[in-house]
Amino acid sequence: MEFQDGFPNYEVLAQHDNQAGVGVRKRLMNVFWLLLVVTLIEVGIGWFWHDIHVSTGLSKTWLIVGFIMFTLLKAGYIVMTFMHLGDENKWMRWVILGPYFVFAVYLIYMTTVTEGSYAGKEEHRDLLYPVTKTTAPATPAHHE
Amino acid sequence: MSHAVAKPQGWGGGTSPLGTSHGKLFMWFFLISDALTFSALLVALGFFRHKYAEVWPTSTDVFTHFPFTHAHLPLIYVGWMTFALILSSVTMVLAVEAGHRKDQKSVVLWMGLTIVGGFIFLGSQVWEWWIFIEGSPQGAMRWQWINGQWVEQVFHGANLKYNEYSITPHYANFFFCVTGFHGFHVFSGVVINIITFIMAYMGVFERRGHYEFIEKVGLYWHFVDLVWVFVFTFFYLL
Repeated sequence: MEFQDGFPNYEVLAQHDNQAGVGVRKRLMNVFWLLLVVTLIEVGIGWFWHDIHVSTGLSKTWLIVGFIMFTLLKAGYIVMTFMHLGDENKWMRWVILGPYFVFAVYLIYMTTVTEGSYAGKEEHRDLLYPVTKTTAPATPAHHE
Repeated sequence: MSHAVAKPQGWGGGTSPLGTSHGKLFMWFFLISDALTFSALLVALGFFRHKYAEVWPTSTDVFTHFPFTHAHLPLIYVGWMTFALILSSVTMVLAVEAGHRKDQKSVVLWMGLTIVGGFIFLGSQVWEWWIFIEGSPQGAMRWQWINGQWVEQVFHGANLKYNEYSITPHYANFFFCVTGFHGFHVFSGVVINIITFIMAYMGVFERRGHYEFIEKVGLYWHFVDLVWVFVFTFFYLL
């Protein structure tokens, strides 16, 4: 006997007829083309970045910001359309996205603002694998 | 009828405030925890890239190979892998849509194509790992700990201690860790897809009266695609 809590059958309520299916498929295909085009643009920028950098003088920061924007755009469409989170109700969306963003933002804060502020400095570099090729590593610590 | 999901009537009972079945809700909870694991990996990658900024290689110099040709084609192969995964993602979402119409034949067809897409991606990743581990004929000079002392000699390819692409081993470590962990997810996704395919073919969902199982499996598969979008950007493009 299947578990019954008296709630509406959400599994069945999500169903639609052939008529509605045409529109749904069209929307899905549109998202697919969008993802494909954005990916092609990304690969193109990655390939020609050096030329773009030389001819327009754009800095690497703009490249990073642009790529992150493209990524978030693609991620948004995948989550909202392919994973149907856009079709769920408002509370469902918050329950899923809220906790995730709290932790994700904290992770980014931790590694950029706090730890990232000193990690790149010379005195904190790993002694085992020096960045200069000319000298042998000083301490052969844990090997073999 | 389509999306006429009953609206929650406050807390009077009788409806779920989230308007979702238990199975789907808990699939989402699992995906959040998995997403945080991947976030931690990618954030750590960003941290190490920053720390070793001077010696971190550019992906356009490392991933330049394409099967059956020796031409210099940076990022094209990774672009192809992304395309394969997006394509298998769209076939998956079409399977979910067919499930909403209770169209068993289409569900089986789209699930089958999704499995094919998953195998194409996995095969591509195997080839990429092989090229990465094999390395170039010329290699690069690396200090290596051999027979109790540091020796500087040519090293080809990559392992967890040395790699020819960067002086720091973290580059190869992150490559293996991030793409490997993602690839393992793809692998388990393909296994789950095959089980779902067989269940759909046997008419299990037809007897059950709904195809929500496809939706839950689809959530996992799209999550795998979602993670790849981020890996693609943060490991390969930047």
